[in-house]
Amino acid sequence: MLQFVLSGVAIGSIYGLIGMALAISFYVTRIINFAQGQLMMVTVMVTAELASSGYPVWLAALAGLACSCIVGILSYVIAVRPILLSNRFSFGWLVSTLGFAVIVENAAAYIWGPTSQAFPPILNGISLPIGGAVLTAQQLLAIVTAAVLAAGFEIVRRYTLFGKLGMATAADPEMASAIGANTAIVAIVAFAVSAVYAGIAGLLIGPSTFANPYLGDTFGTYGFIAMMIGGGTERPIAAMFGGLLLGVCAEGANALINSQASDWFPFIVLVLILIVSPKGLFSTSNPLFRPRRAAVTRG
Amino acid sequence: MAPAFDTQPVTAPRLRVGRWRAAGLLAVLIAYLAATAYVAHTDLGLQSLVLVAAVFGILAISLDLVAGMLGLYSLGQGGFFGIGAYATTILANDYGWNVFGLLALVLAATGLIGMAVGAMSLRVSGLYFAITTFIFTLVLTVLATDMVTVTGGLQGLLGPAFPDFPTSLEWLGTPLVWCIMLALLACLCLVWNIRHSPLYPILLSIRDAEPFAEAAGARTAAIKVGVFGVSAAMAGGAGWLFSFLGVVSPSQFDWSVSLNVLVMVLIGGINTSVGPVVGAMFVSMFPNVVNINPWLQEIVYGALSILAITLLPDGVVGIARRALARRAGEIAPVADAASAEALPAAPTVASAASPKDSEIIVECRSIEFGYGLGPKVLRNVDLAVRRGHIHGLIGPNGSGKSTLANVISGRLTPHAGEVLLKGTRVDGMPASSRSRLGLRRTFQAAQLVKELTPTQNVMVGLFDRVPRIVGRAPLWPMLASGRRDLAAMQRRASEALGLVGAGDWTSRQVADVPHGIEQLTQLASVCVAGPDIIVLDEPATGLSAKEVRHLAAILANLKTQGVTMIIIEHQTRFLFPLCDRVTVLNAGEVILTGSADEVRADPVVRQVYLGE
Repeated sequence: MLQFVLSGVAIGSIYGLIGMALAISFYVTRIINFAQGQLMMVTVMVTAELASSGYPVWLAALAGLACSCIVGILSYVIAVRPILLSNRFSFGWLVSTLGFAVIVENAAAYIWGPTSQAFPPILNGISLPIGGAVLTAQQLLAIVTAAVLAAGFEIVRRYTLFGKLGMATAADPEMASAIGANTAIVAIVAFAVSAVYAGIAGLLIGPSTFANPYLGDTFGTYGFIAMMIGGGTERPIAAMFGGLLLGVCAEGANALINSQASDWFPFIVLVLILIVSPKGLFSTSNPLFRPRRAAVTRG
Repeated sequence: MAPAFDTQPVTAPRLRVGRWRAAGLLAVLIAYLAATAYVAHTDLGLQSLVLVAAVFGILAISLDLVAGMLGLYSLGQGGFFGIGAYATTILANDYGWNVFGLLALVLAATGLIGMAVGAMSLRVSGLYFAITTFIFTLVLTVLATDMVTVTGGLQGLLGPAFPDFPTSLEWLGTPLVWCIMLALLACLCLVWNIRHSPLYPILLSIRDAEPFAEAAGARTAAIKVGVFGVSAAMAGGAGWLFSFLGVVSPSQFDWSVSLNVLVMVLIGGINTSVGPVVGAMFVSMFPNVVNINPWLQEIVYGALSILAITLLPDGVVGIARRALARRAGEIAPVADAASAEALPAAPTVASAASPKDSEIIVECRSIEFGYGLGPKVLRNVDLAVRRGHIHGLIGPNGSGKSTLANVISGRLTPHAGEVLLKGTRVDGMPASSRSRLGLRRTFQAAQLVKELTPTQNVMVGLFDRVPRIVGRAPLWPMLASGRRDLAAMQRRASEALGLVGAGDWTSRQVADVPHGIEQLTQLASVCVAGPDIIVLDEPATGLSAKEVRHLAAILANLKTQGVTMIIIEHQTRFLFPLCDRVTVLNAGEVILTGSADEVRADPVVRQVYLGE
């Protein structure tokens, strides 16, 4: 029992990070970046490549994150901004971000080949007994990192001028630019931050999955589910809660139903949650759970 | 206002053009059948290329039906497609069911599932609709992958064989080619028919101006769910066809298929008749035409879809259509540049005798309303409007006038109190049912479909005056009654536009007409239905002084026909001469109801509203 909860929280914090990455870019631009999983994959591939050619792991990881960042900004400049500018077509981004994901994924497969490569172990060797369960240091690192990043994001969003700028851009981009906010810069920063979050998730999961160009698909989907379960479309941090729930559900299904159950059980949970509360479990519109801040509906 | 009522020159039925068009359509049809016959006799490689493109063409048409006409970006098409293919394969192979019986079953089942999914996901709009349908597809793919015993897992299943022609028909070639190509033709016809039926402007108004469609009597939620069901059935039928083409496996129906279908629609041209098929041909033939390293090929495909979306937001067909329109525009220069200014001279306001003590036709009793948890916007509001009166509703900004109009017309449900129309209690009824009781309304910010002409917008107003528009739409131009009704609707719509003085603008897009004409188009779309009661929300906003005088004349004339009107307005100089009674609202409460003179003389009103 404790074992699957702990390992569920560990894997869930990875899902949550990717969910938050999706939610951060959604928060500012109101689009879902379908290339988010691929941004994670870029970090993993670049880090693996550099580490295997002899660079120190920390340098390889930083370079990997930087690459994700660049690709993330590119995804905004190439696939999102032109669509939002023309504005005539509000759903074109569905296609353009997917197109971007296809490009990144197949470029990676073209460069590195479709098979998995070694990823440098970060803390995998050490394990810590907690109660009757065992947690590897790698898993503990994932949990701590996710908690710090989630809390950090929320603090920046609420208490700094830049965070408030993001909130203003999210609520009404035209108004935000009328009071002098450069909404393009805000969006670019949001995409860069979201790429870093996804990249960090990649660094945390890389040692267990190894480096594979198609990693982005699976984890992008799980991140998306995390965001939808949690209601990250309204508050990015809710995606983290969604990720934790998802992780525990998946590990619990594996432990209690059978070893394949994590393939389908989370989807059942997702459907049930969306039937009850279409905008997610921790969203303001959930009929079962309302945060204290009263929703001010517009006429 | 005699002159305006003289019959406007009705557009004569252009018989010759119609005949040419029919001949053109016949030629296209023959060419299509000839091409089908050619494909049915050609080699297997080309056949499968064409057939896969045609199946995706059907899928793209099914998406365009909901995305283009209703603005519902469904990512569930892949899921319905998969349901059709798997149901056919499993039931035909393992249980030996007849494949044609299965077609009926698949259409019915996917249609019903579509309606269920639609009803569930329409609780949330726009993006969330796309997401919910996306998740629907995701879940189905997972089930298809994991239920290995039934679906064969990732390996998939070999589809059933398509039955052969009887010997007498063998000269036709491969039967599957005929089946798929005729199915594509049927789908094209279905969409083309809808596009040429009066349902089309109604669908677009549901997409762009839902309150307008509702106020015209359309049950918008039911129509959306129904059309989504048709679209799902079409996608399921495409799955049925696809199962005969070879192996059925999860990767052929996953969410990327749904997105690829969207790419097809967008590249070809959204909301066009043939655009989706053009896009489907391009996307599905792409890997066969560009034969390079598979990864590079995918990269090129990704880059092309981004380019197509950013550079051709209207798609190939949209571009072509615009180019054609430009050429047509050069040949026939804009004719009404001169008449743009000319509104018919406003006749003097006839002081119509108003019935003094007619019965009460609209009544509000102690209405209470507030938005969300905010303060009450309407408090204990009573309002009684007599038949044949023009009842003014004035008050400062934020006093609750538009809210009251929305409560009366059914956009909002009051928290407490009763609304009665002609003695019937209506406060639980949706706006569309109130329209059937003879109530119509206009909106402060004109709710119209910008890409349609004023005539087409006015036709929306006739929705509940013409029987069975929705039921007949799939066959509309083929039905004699359909052609007759459409001509009658067009005539009545352009007459109504003529009566309000917007007769010169019938063939422009609403996007290109001035604000005053938009307001008049709204008014025409209300008048065309011959309602008993009209609620007008600030009809004079943004009109020039001349247009306001003209509007006053129109309203006075409506009054002589016995129409009751509730008018919200700030321009008291326009409003007061028209009104039998005026109600003054302030901060959600009725201050006074009386004649215009009484209101003008009241010291409280002068203080809170007239600003003295």
